[in-house]
Amino acid sequence: MPISAFLTDASVCIGCKACEVACKEWNHIPDDGFAWSGQSYDNTQALGASTWRHVLFLEEKQPMGPQLAGIEEPFRWQFLSDVCKHCENAGCLEACPTGAIIRTEFESVYVQPDVCNGCGYCVVSCPFGVVDKNHDVGTAFKCTFCYDRQRDGLMPACAKACPTKSIRFGELEELRREAQVRIKELQDRGYNDAQTYDPTGSSVGGTHAIFVILGQPEAYNFPPAPEIPTIHLKSAWGSALVSALGVVLVVFLAFTR
Amino acid sequence: MAADPQFTENRLDALREEAARTGKVQDHGIAPGGSPFPKPASAVSYHGNPVLKPPTWTWQVPLYFFVGGVAGISAVIALVAHLFGNAGLIRAGLWVGFAGALISAPLLIADLGRPARFLNMLRVFKLRSAMSVGAWTLAGFSSAAGLAVVCHELILAGYGNDFLLVLEWVAEISAGLSGLILASYTSVLLGVTAIPVWSENRKLVPVVFLAGGLGSAAAVLELLGFLVPVTQFIGIVASAVETLVAILIELRGRYVDRPLREGAVGWLTRAGAALAGPTSLLLRIFSGHSSVARYVAAVCFVIGALISRYAWIVAGRVSSRDPQALFRIQRPAPNAAAH
Amino acid sequence: MPGLGTSFGRGGATTAPSDLVNSDAILIMGSNMAENHPVGFQWVIEARERGAKVIHVDPRFSRTSAMADIWAPLRAGSDILFLGGLIHYVLENNKDFREYVIHYTNASIILPEEFKDTEDLGGVFSGWDAKDRRYDGSSWLYGACVQGGQAAPRSAGPHSGHHKDGTGTGAAADLRDCECDPTLSHPRCVYQVVKRHYARYTPELVERFCGVSRERFLKIAETFCSASGPEKTGAICYALGWTQQSKGPQIIRAASILQLLLGNIGRPGGGILALRGHASIQGSTDIPTLYDILPGYLPMPNLGLDSHNLADYVATHRDPTGWWWNFDKYIVSLLKAYYGEGAKKENDWGFNWLPRVTGDHSHQGYFLEMLDGKVEGLFVMGQNPAVAGPNSRLERKALSKLKWLVVRDLVELETASFWYDSPEVERGELRPEEIATEVFLLPAAGHAEKDGCFTNTQRLLQWHQKAVDPPGDARNETWFMYHLGRRLKEKAKHDPRPRNAGLSALTWDYSLEGTMQEPKVEEVLQEINGYAVADHNLVSGFNELKADGSTACGCWIYSGVFPRLGENRANQRNSQDLWGHGWGFAWPADRRILYNRASARPDGRPWSERKKLVWWDEQNKEWTGLDVPDFTRTKAPNYQPAKHAQGDEALAGDKPFILHTDGTGWIFAPKGLADGPLPTHYEGLEAPVSNPLYPDQQSNPAAMRDERPENRYASSPDDRFPYVMSTYRLTEHHTSGAMSRMLPHLAELQPEFFCEISPELASERGIENGGWVTLMTARGIVEARALVTRRMRPLLIDGKMVHQVGVPYHWGYRGLVKGDSANDLVAISEEPNVRIMEAKGILCDVSPGRRARGKAALDQWNAHLGRK
Repeated sequence: MPISAFLTDASVCIGCKACEVACKEWNHIPDDGFAWSGQSYDNTQALGASTWRHVLFLEEKQPMGPQLAGIEEPFRWQFLSDVCKHCENAGCLEACPTGAIIRTEFESVYVQPDVCNGCGYCVVSCPFGVVDKNHDVGTAFKCTFCYDRQRDGLMPACAKACPTKSIRFGELEELRREAQVRIKELQDRGYNDAQTYDPTGSSVGGTHAIFVILGQPEAYNFPPAPEIPTIHLKSAWGSALVSALGVVLVVFLAFTR
Repeated sequence: MAADPQFTENRLDALREEAARTGKVQDHGIAPGGSPFPKPASAVSYHGNPVLKPPTWTWQVPLYFFVGGVAGISAVIALVAHLFGNAGLIRAGLWVGFAGALISAPLLIADLGRPARFLNMLRVFKLRSAMSVGAWTLAGFSSAAGLAVVCHELILAGYGNDFLLVLEWVAEISAGLSGLILASYTSVLLGVTAIPVWSENRKLVPVVFLAGGLGSAAAVLELLGFLVPVTQFIGIVASAVETLVAILIELRGRYVDRPLREGAVGWLTRAGAALAGPTSLLLRIFSGHSSVARYVAAVCFVIGALISRYAWIVAGRVSSRDPQALFRIQRPAPNAAAH
Repeated sequence: MPGLGTSFGRGGATTAPSDLVNSDAILIMGSNMAENHPVGFQWVIEARERGAKVIHVDPRFSRTSAMADIWAPLRAGSDILFLGGLIHYVLENNKDFREYVIHYTNASIILPEEFKDTEDLGGVFSGWDAKDRRYDGSSWLYGACVQGGQAAPRSAGPHSGHHKDGTGTGAAADLRDCECDPTLSHPRCVYQVVKRHYARYTPELVERFCGVSRERFLKIAETFCSASGPEKTGAICYALGWTQQSKGPQIIRAASILQLLLGNIGRPGGGILALRGHASIQGSTDIPTLYDILPGYLPMPNLGLDSHNLADYVATHRDPTGWWWNFDKYIVSLLKAYYGEGAKKENDWGFNWLPRVTGDHSHQGYFLEMLDGKVEGLFVMGQNPAVAGPNSRLERKALSKLKWLVVRDLVELETASFWYDSPEVERGELRPEEIATEVFLLPAAGHAEKDGCFTNTQRLLQWHQKAVDPPGDARNETWFMYHLGRRLKEKAKHDPRPRNAGLSALTWDYSLEGTMQEPKVEEVLQEINGYAVADHNLVSGFNELKADGSTACGCWIYSGVFPRLGENRANQRNSQDLWGHGWGFAWPADRRILYNRASARPDGRPWSERKKLVWWDEQNKEWTGLDVPDFTRTKAPNYQPAKHAQGDEALAGDKPFILHTDGTGWIFAPKGLADGPLPTHYEGLEAPVSNPLYPDQQSNPAAMRDERPENRYASSPDDRFPYVMSTYRLTEHHTSGAMSRMLPHLAELQPEFFCEISPELASERGIENGGWVTLMTARGIVEARALVTRRMRPLLIDGKMVHQVGVPYHWGYRGLVKGDSANDLVAISEEPNVRIMEAKGILCDVSPGRRARGKAALDQWNAHLGRK
């Protein structure tokens, strides 16, 4: 089966949040509370157990390519819809002790809600801070990549709702090519800081949700060099082994004294 | 509500004042728009919001870390005691191990979001998931410790035979080996995550947890009356290690370790380290002959180890909320050392 | 609407959002299109991707600004100054599309000597009656009527500007009898008059009073005005940023003049996209919920003026030339639809059963009467005046004077609960036990629970089908009105007084279906389409309508939507091209781009291959092309009318604006608007500066302030209210919030009432981002959260810093998320043509901290008012 993927493009996002609402409506996700953040127009603030699409609002003192917007100094306001990255090598999937988190036939990462027992290990294993536990239901939730819709041949709800095709859904390699074309196009038009966010060089091995962003990843709270935590298994267990040997030695010595 | 309190005009003034007074600034600083301050690459974040999610674990988990450590090491002590023929310690060690195992499972189950589904932990075995390894280890250890206790008591009660003797050895060895894993895997559990203060200390935490488990097991045995040279030796070594680790964390002064050194969690960490480290060590060294002092040293170590487990969890929560902690690991600033 | 109607002939968007992909430049002003028409905005993005330049001019940097190529901050209320500046730029630099202007507009018409411009009279046009505060527009008229020396009826009256799409009542302006100067140099020709009128609207004046730097203004002017000529077109999009001002239609007129000069009307990628509001606002003026018009923009008769009999009425409103010559066919067909067999030639087809306008029955008009205790009852259906009405404090108090109030809605919204949980109750201004209003709250069906039809901003009728039954007692509007009507008719049977004759004569015979006995809405649409009375066969369009009582038609502009049984064109979903032919039905006659004759040269060939739309087919002797021609199909491009030809035949083959009596686009509007033939910069009813052009005429002289103790105004300027605010909408909420604040998924996106202020204002007043502020105007006091953002900026206006504040208006005292109502701050005022209130550019004060609670809030506010 082809690898399902998202390409989310900040340069055509209008910050309308149709993706957030479509996702919540389709998946019957509860609200996340009614707190006002004062962070531009973003009252959602982050992905979580009850938010699987999150639109970011960045007000920055930089120009947006050739746009003539700032008055005394450069200024821009850009938007981007964040989502679970559906990593090629997924930290949550590796961590899950019940096998609730699986790789589907669409190569997406999916949490089976009837298997998860809410141990919370995936929550601390996601290098992007996506998956979280719903404390009312008790189990972990994140974007399902609209598994049910895809199985019926439909595109995910967010991609369907997006009015400007900022969220594109398709086959991974094709979207990767499109992203490269788009970056070149944007740079030719004067968007000097246009780049893709798709950490193929890291241990995550690239993601199935890739982005066209303007500026540094950190500005979007994207880790610049995300790693799947299990790359640390060797050093951690190694230290545990040495320490354990140390314990045995100490206990032996204790008895010989 | 308001943006990160670090990023205000007042803080900037405070930094300017500090710079004027001392000639340098002990902070990563802030960079108000258009300021002349050099801005390290990773000072940018999205509204100062956290990147990662905080651990969802509640108080049962650090308590379990402690109990698991005690239980696992007790089984090791029991096994070695058996090798050296120390009857009292065998029995005590086995029982402490088994009791610990009995408490551990309910603690973990209580922390689950869906406790009724606890058996799903044994649905698969994943070597690459420390929690899966831990779940199976706990299951294995509980069985082995239980079996060892049953065999031992049966033998003590007079029903011993060759089969039971061998079975007891098998059980004790299994319990000992799995006990070591039980006492150490939790450190791997923390180290192999995305949380900066945990993953950046992945080689140190096993030392802390095993020293803690070792010292706590000995302390528990002492509190059960075993004021013997074995437990004293173990206690001294354990608290010495705790002391050294605490000094290392303070001296290293890394940004990522700030939760362990600053704020409420910093004080909690120091309290735990102080009790399990220097306090316990000094009491043992300078008053080791007094049984009161040894009891106090044991209690101090136990409380210190407990606090320390809790502090590591909370430190993880604090660390998860700081986007710079994550960014600095991944993209160290050119002039500001990420150390 | 009358802004577009007087300029072009019809009061609706001249184009569709999808046509924007053909634009070379798009000017968005008085609009936040990305936030309020996000789906339509995809075409702006698409245009931009194809190389179009998008310009956004607005007091705030909104989500639309973020996607624009050029943004300029504007002082709210100074739009005519800015647009006039663009007109000045075009005329001074000869950037107009000369051939288009000469043939398709009235630029060459020579105006009568009697006409005097505001430049001649210090701020008013000739014909201003200062005592009655209205214009006698006879000196603006050109053509036959003037030469004939007849006194023309006053063009302003209780009629407001909606009827006949604003093309105006009054004697004809017949081109055949006009003097013209095709060289455009005669001092009294429209072109020169307009040039003189805008002579002072220099880039320097724009910088000084709009707050847009000369440099940025000229960049915008260059960019937009270069999208003109045979190979290029530019479009203008506007919305309530323009209409909610005391001179709204004039602002739209200024944009229309600009587009006529640039030759952009009727061409692909050109036009003016009036971005009308949600779901079916266009539909609600087509089949009107306005007091002064009948379906299809026919005027409601006025008592005394035109209403004695049908002949007088027709004589007053029917134009001898142009498409409105057919006026009698439409009114008679409408009356036949209303009264069926009861409508006969002998009784003027039931004309005297129609109500008459006797005063200001607009929303503001009747709410003020309601406050004075003169209104007995009110139906409120799908509206929330307690939150969305101007001066909502006044409106809530007015509701308490009713004898009965019927509210039909999906939820118990603020209008239904005012009597126990409004701020007035909290403040002790109203006491529930003293309110005699009997409130009936009836549940309404949602849009998926009923059949029906929306007409959206591009005049597109789209049918929607019922998906599920409404729950419980909830019923749809058609059911309600039908059964209410049925019961009233029953009662009228036993009460033969003359006043019930019309009610009894009303045709009221739709088929009912289902357990709920719902009227078949398709039958209503068929009636709207029109049919032959004799055999009930549906007509295929308004060309088949007659004035002899043989046809009936509920709304002539919609005729053609249901041409035969089984063919509901509003329900078609087979889009064949970019303009959507095959998907829904656009009025009139599925013409997607209006006035598209102008997309061809006078000789009938397209202006260019790139911008072709319709053209003359010499072989088949008819107009053809990519759109339905908005022109008589067989009229040749070189057709010249005979001397006494009437109606459409009086218009030549190169006159695209067929609703106009002279067939031209009106750069100068001889009739139709109550406040002048040319847009003039006036300040708003409250302003931070004096009118730089006319010190003696601060604001629109014809606008109504409805001043009274409950509806006060600040002075201009006013030390108590130094800042300029505008209300606006956010994407996340829907109007008064009754349909969004009650839904968790929308409520959580924007949970609290906030206002947007600049860092400079925040620093000046000690306000922190995230804190609370209190907003006050001469009308009321509210509290909101403070969003301090660089997107707001103070402007240097005539040497002093003017701060602007943005105030979204979605909150009320009910729902999952609540907040104060921004409309408590807005005055009831009436623009003279459409009676819309001024909600942009009003004066306010912002101070840190929450407002006092309960009655103390009024004390706090009164104390502030008392300061001088």
